[in-house]
Amino acid sequence: MKSSDLNGMCGDVIISLQNVGVRYKRRGGFLRKPEYFQALEGVSFDIHRGETLGILGRNGAGKSTLLRVVAGIIQPDSGEIVNHGVTVSLLALQAGFDAELPGTDNAILSGMLMGYTRKQVEARLDDIAEFSELGDFMYEPVKTYSSGMKSRLGFSVAMYMTPDVLLLDEVLSVGDKDFKKKAETEMMKKVHSNQTVLLVTHSEQQAKRLCERSISL
Amino acid sequence: MRQAEWDKACERWAIMRQVYFDEVAVWVQAAIAHRKLGQFDLANGLLDSARERFPDLPDPLIELAMLQCERGCLAEAEALAAELRKRFPGNLAVMLNSARVSARRGNLSEALVFNRQARETFEESSEPWLQYAELAMQAKDWSLALERWQEVRQRFPKHAEGFTRAAVAADALGDGSQARRLRLAQEYGNAWLESVQDTDLGENETAHTINPPQRRNWRTFADLVWTKARLNLKSEASKNHLRYLWWILDPVLYMTVFYVVFGILMERGGPGFIAYLLTGLVPFQWFAKTVQHTSNSIVGGKGLMHKVRISPLFFPLVGIVQNTGKQLLVFGMLGIFLALYGLPPTIHWLAFIPIVLVQLMLMTAVSCTLAMLVPFARDLTNLIPTGIQFLLFTSGIFYTIDRIPEEWRSLFFTNPMANILYQYRQVFVENQWPDWSGLGWVALGCVVGLSMVIFLYRRLEPIFPRVVIE
Repeated sequence: MKSSDLNGMCGDVIISLQNVGVRYKRRGGFLRKPEYFQALEGVSFDIHRGETLGILGRNGAGKSTLLRVVAGIIQPDSGEIVNHGVTVSLLALQAGFDAELPGTDNAILSGMLMGYTRKQVEARLDDIAEFSELGDFMYEPVKTYSSGMKSRLGFSVAMYMTPDVLLLDEVLSVGDKDFKKKAETEMMKKVHSNQTVLLVTHSEQQAKRLCERSISL
Repeated sequence: MRQAEWDKACERWAIMRQVYFDEVAVWVQAAIAHRKLGQFDLANGLLDSARERFPDLPDPLIELAMLQCERGCLAEAEALAAELRKRFPGNLAVMLNSARVSARRGNLSEALVFNRQARETFEESSEPWLQYAELAMQAKDWSLALERWQEVRQRFPKHAEGFTRAAVAADALGDGSQARRLRLAQEYGNAWLESVQDTDLGENETAHTINPPQRRNWRTFADLVWTKARLNLKSEASKNHLRYLWWILDPVLYMTVFYVVFGILMERGGPGFIAYLLTGLVPFQWFAKTVQHTSNSIVGGKGLMHKVRISPLFFPLVGIVQNTGKQLLVFGMLGIFLALYGLPPTIHWLAFIPIVLVQLMLMTAVSCTLAMLVPFARDLTNLIPTGIQFLLFTSGIFYTIDRIPEEWRSLFFTNPMANILYQYRQVFVENQWPDWSGLGWVALGCVVGLSMVIFLYRRLEPIFPRVVIE
């Protein structure tokens, strides 16, 4: 693991990882000796307030596992992660969508699963409908949507989420050309406000364009 | 441009000069190409010829002034600029040239005067504004430069310099993030840039953003479980043509089957047996369906668990609430059946409420425990149907309590399901108050069980997302 451009430090450290390792059990159990797959090993870095940190790595390098560790979804097997009291969330698109239900219900459900309260989602329902450009389709079951429409709804619900640290798995590509531009514009606004962002990508160019510094797995 | 390209440019301008010798640009541009290559004498020669050919145009003189600047002959350049100002007053290029020469001489305040004249006279033209900002860059006054570039961006949003050169200034100030933002703004536009800066200044939570808590409080969690269960029912109903009607049809058909088989065909158990059977069977079905539905729920929720942070308790609880919603209708049907069968409601039916609540607690404890164990030992799912069968026959649904030998009765009642079913019968069939102490013991056991379940879930919460994919 190497780190580049360390002089770009800005705010205080809000999350720090020390020698984090994660392994998954591949097979085995009660009767056989278990075999493990080491997904992450000896990962150490700090996340500073307000920075945009890029995580670079090939497929299977453990990028998504790392995001789950930072999000607090899984605990590392070795090493430790210290969160200095900040909220962390993955940008989860279409979380918990039910194809049988209309767009409005899915927006409420998905938003609540991400951590909004029902009131917060309901208050933004008109904005969500407007941003996603779904019109009357908001009241139709999601199973009647095209995949582009589904991802438009998913993004429109998720974009209001502003945790202290936002975790992005790849920069999004949602919907058609026009909506993609709109979504990207909105996303870049987040990345470049004082939001702390951890961006996982396999494109070095993307990392250079968006991040203050980056770490290769 | 690189050296080789300027070379090529020189060659091409030479060809152009032969064809379009009466165009001033051909001469001036050729001189620029030579100047870039450092061939000052050649450039000078070309400009001299151009001056002779086009005495009424300022362009050769302007380029000559540039050439003199490059050569370091600043006095000559200044003289040329003065001559130009006299001969071509009110010409934009001349004003800009004067400012350029003054700036080259290090006289920035004079340069600013010429530049201001240009900006005021040609407000619609971008060049004076670009020069205005560049003058600040030359003075290394980066924050002033940033301000002026911002003005450039506002006036001429299509001009790339407004973004790229401002980014250079931001870099020079050591503000890397602003520099990156400026470069991106070239792609996303000025409105985007301003909205980013607005959010920087704004409060943490604006109308536009939501900062989700690290951990939900119990009310939001309960609301989430409730919403998910309600929507699951809605989703389930919308899959069928008859929709919600099935929630009534299903138990009616079920009860009819037992009525026909046990009440009419077999005439088993004597009069009143069918009421006895159904008051046991209906609550038991609720238990069985719920346990079966929820036992695999945590494994089934692995996709969601990896996307959002959620207590694994969510998954079995949703199943319980969902089944309970449907069950309330079934209990309604049972009540109607009993009334028609000749067992009309009495005051004792009020005890139905505490009994249902105790059964709900028991189901929650059992369902959550099984859902918790299954991810660790998937084989358990194969045992659950058998376990439910076992319970079906040991809870006294098809036989009455007096069939059990006296010495086995206390053992029989340690099965909490048998105990609860007995209470239902007391209320509905015998029209008596339930055995409160028996019910109390079951309730106490459930409270203990539930506390243990909650404790274990808290402990195991970070382990589940790993276990479900292993």
